[in-house]
Amino acid sequence: MKQIALYGKGGIGKSTTSANLSAALSDRGLDILQIGCDPKRDSTRMLMRGRLIPTVMDLVRERGDRSLTLDDVVFEGYRGVRCVEAGGPEPGVGCAGRGIIATFQILERLGALHGDVVVYDVLGDVVCGGFAMPMREGYAEEVYLVTSGELMSLYAANNICKAIKRLSSRAKSKTRLAGVICNAKNLPREDELVARFAEQIGSTMVQFIPRDPVVQLAELNKMTVIEYAPESSQAGAYRDLAGKVLENTRLDVPEPLEIEELESLAYEFIAI
Amino acid sequence: MSSSRSEGCTLTGALSITTAVRDAVSIIHGPRGCAHHNFSLFHTVAVDRGRPPPRILSSMVTEKDVVFGGEEALERALHRAVQMDPACIFVLTSCVADTIGDDTAMVCREDRPVPVVHIPTSGFLGGGFHDGERNALIALATMEDHGRPAREGPGGITLVGEKNLEYEVDQNYAEIVRLLSLLGVEVRLRFVREIDSREVGLLGRGSLNILRETGLTPVGEALEVRFGTPFISSFPLGLEGTLVFLSQVAESEGKTADPALEKEKRRQRALVEEFGDIRGRSVRLEGVTDPGEQEAVRELAELFDLSVDERGASLPLPSPFPAGTSGVRRVLHRWRARTRA
Repeated sequence: MKQIALYGKGGIGKSTTSANLSAALSDRGLDILQIGCDPKRDSTRMLMRGRLIPTVMDLVRERGDRSLTLDDVVFEGYRGVRCVEAGGPEPGVGCAGRGIIATFQILERLGALHGDVVVYDVLGDVVCGGFAMPMREGYAEEVYLVTSGELMSLYAANNICKAIKRLSSRAKSKTRLAGVICNAKNLPREDELVARFAEQIGSTMVQFIPRDPVVQLAELNKMTVIEYAPESSQAGAYRDLAGKVLENTRLDVPEPLEIEELESLAYEFIAI
Repeated sequence: MSSSRSEGCTLTGALSITTAVRDAVSIIHGPRGCAHHNFSLFHTVAVDRGRPPPRILSSMVTEKDVVFGGEEALERALHRAVQMDPACIFVLTSCVADTIGDDTAMVCREDRPVPVVHIPTSGFLGGGFHDGERNALIALATMEDHGRPAREGPGGITLVGEKNLEYEVDQNYAEIVRLLSLLGVEVRLRFVREIDSREVGLLGRGSLNILRETGLTPVGEALEVRFGTPFISSFPLGLEGTLVFLSQVAESEGKTADPALEKEKRRQRALVEEFGDIRGRSVRLEGVTDPGEQEAVRELAELFDLSVDERGASLPLPSPFPAGTSGVRRVLHRWRARTRA
């Protein structure tokens, strides 16, 4: 079983990338489980044809965790992709990080964590130990950083490198950085910038995903690009990503940049 | 963080104050364990002293509350507390409630049939025992509007922050009452020791606050700002300290100190004579760190010509040091027993 996690800045397109990756992997006949770890629960929506599935935390809130069954929390989406949403509390109360931990414990108890590939789609940034849970407890063995060429996106990716570095130093940790995915914003020389960033942190850019209106169009139609426009070049990019994820054997302990290094790098590529 | 964690967390310190308000209920907003270990301690102390068990409730925060927020758990606990028909409710917070960011103060501000006072504690996050004790005293000082005055008229002494868990608390109180009687003044309020919540209304009427120990100075200052009441920073320690204490109280109360001082000096001379048999002994003195207590011990060592030697008899050094001349007498009794052993 391959366990991968996509981390990155909020709004960078992790859920879109995750859902299309899961769909592309599923097209290969693989058994895929996608777990959304964001309280706003939109990770699996396109795999579910626009349906917002009940979250594990919603069910815990309503019924407690003891009465939950596998069928309550796992929903079948595009081509059998099994979808789970962790959910969380209302904004401003409680501890969503603890919710993630509780969700993983429930999924483990229910025997949900199986398949050929488990895709963890994790909240925008590692804000607390709870969101580092997929890495910390060894659920996510391969971490992919999703970033664009924008400075704050690179900044978040660099911060996540710090978490990977710290957690990978633990004796039992299996978490490593598997690569960087550039989800482009159509900035000049964006692919070069992200590739240089990946190189400087001791990794590699595994896939450049161009910005394409078909992504919006697919989402308006409540589908992944893989399902909505399978012949499009954008779907091809996601399929390329799926192939690389399956074949990827490069796993690194990253070396995060100092903020000054990151700014210098971004400055080299800025268009004035 | 201003006090040692080894003495317990803020909850224990604050509960040592709030549970001394007889008609109140204290709620610990946190997991059951936080209430359990504190309740065990206070229950044991109460039973030991022949008093009813403390009224402590837990909001019983569970993992579910940690994830989704514990404010509703606190609401439920407040509802249970109201059913117990207390005169007021104190709400203390654990580490967990503060870690997940519950707005406890907001929940406490909502209208209820019973006054609800939020005590800033936060378990170990808020500091140690003494921080909880101080925070509780300062929070209770805002309560005076909640109760009607039990007695009319200004004046009288308020004792602030008696150590309710201290073994000798009642003996120390009796000594303070005795010393004050030499000056013809009396204790009007014990803030907080076995009082009803309405008696807190007397807090602003006192003419002088006497703090149990110097660590409570922030409380003395807060009361001085709020009510304009001057304070003496600790109970008297040692023989000379007792005389200074009498002079300070006399000055503050506009009394003549001389007759009281003369009477107390006679008592102290008799005491020194009574314990003449320990004079010149070889002893070991160690362990007292409070400057006031160190001074009291040093005074006795000099007064009785005790020679300090590592091979000498190890003398028990009570901490906190007992109050007044009577406190010195109790210490000397223990020293005599040890030097004879």
